[in-house]
Amino acid sequence: MGLLPFVFPFAELEVGQHLYWQIGNIRLHGQVFMTSWIVIGALLALVVIGTRKMERDPRGVQNLLEFLWDYIRDLARTQIGEKVYRDWMPFIGTLFLFIFVSNWGGALVPWRLIRLPSGELGAPTADINTTVALALLVSLSYFYAGLSNKGLRYFEYYVHPTPIMLPFKIVEDFTKPLSLSFRLFGNILADELVVAVLVFLVPLVLPVPVMFLGLFTSAIQALIFATLAAYYIGEAVEEHH
Amino acid sequence: MNYSSIFFASGFGLNFNLFETNIINLAVVIFGLYKFLPNFLGSMLERRRSVILSDLKDAEERLDTANLALIEAKKELAAAEKKAKQIRTDCKARAEAIRLETEKRTVEEMARIKQGAASDLNAEAARVSSQLRQEAARLAIEKALGALPKKLDQKAQENFVSQSIKNLGDV
Repeated sequence: MGLLPFVFPFAELEVGQHLYWQIGNIRLHGQVFMTSWIVIGALLALVVIGTRKMERDPRGVQNLLEFLWDYIRDLARTQIGEKVYRDWMPFIGTLFLFIFVSNWGGALVPWRLIRLPSGELGAPTADINTTVALALLVSLSYFYAGLSNKGLRYFEYYVHPTPIMLPFKIVEDFTKPLSLSFRLFGNILADELVVAVLVFLVPLVLPVPVMFLGLFTSAIQALIFATLAAYYIGEAVEEHH
Repeated sequence: MNYSSIFFASGFGLNFNLFETNIINLAVVIFGLYKFLPNFLGSMLERRRSVILSDLKDAEERLDTANLALIEAKKELAAAEKKAKQIRTDCKARAEAIRLETEKRTVEEMARIKQGAASDLNAEAARVSSQLRQEAARLAIEKALGALPKKLDQKAQENFVSQSIKNLGDV
């Protein structure tokens, strides 16, 4: 250190620190709630602004929202199928938009300008609790979709080509939410950590391409999550004879 | 701690450290996005909008042509209805005329037939009465011829001939 003319005021790294909110026996990760509310607020504001004065000639935010709607509709229709995709489009769209805005918000908003007593603000999807909650919602949804569409015949799916598949299909019900939640959580946390570490090591220039890459993978992750959720629902409602 | 941080009593605060907050890189990234995203997304949205507008224009044009066709068709319908009405009244008139004509013809025919039948009857009666007369005359002549040889003797014949001559002379 003595060789260096001055000490670099580089960033500090901290992982696993949370701002805890105590409610009864439950300790909530406060920073996740705050960023989630901001993301939800931003989405609601966007939707409200875009739909407040709708015209036949789609301009500006309305055009953007319609474009997103088209995109989500196509996604849901290709994965779930023509028959019931309308029931699940809001769910798929909400998943996609929430995850996408969370990821990009975490990567683009300078959260570190705000200092918390403990932990730091970031993408809500970089917290395992958020992604597990989303993945469990997907599990519930595809069970509900299957049972409401086919009744108890839904369970034929477990023995579909042959009864030998039964244990694998049962295991699948556990691995689906597991893989969904871990994939999203891992990718987003890894992006944040890579950027943080790079900023720690080389504060300028080098993190920029990595941050762009992070934006790209974040978008892809949102798409993957939404597509897989739609695919699972489609699989549950599919009629096989 | 750091001089570039502001702390509030609750532990919340603001951090203005350029490196800790990674604000420079974020600014670069956001600037890059601001530079390129509107082009990319904007062109996509603009394309979508123009497609929608042209679709709307197409639909409006089709609506216009359809309206024109509808007006035309309504006009034709009115004309056709008028014509149908005309045809119907004509038909009624013709039907009435034909009915009257036929009635008249039938009555005439009936009269003619009646007359024919009456004249036939008269002719037949005349024929039958003349035939009867002939028959009666023939029978009378026969009877007379049968009776003559018994009744006719020289004197009667002379009387008869002189009577006939006298009759002729009177005429």
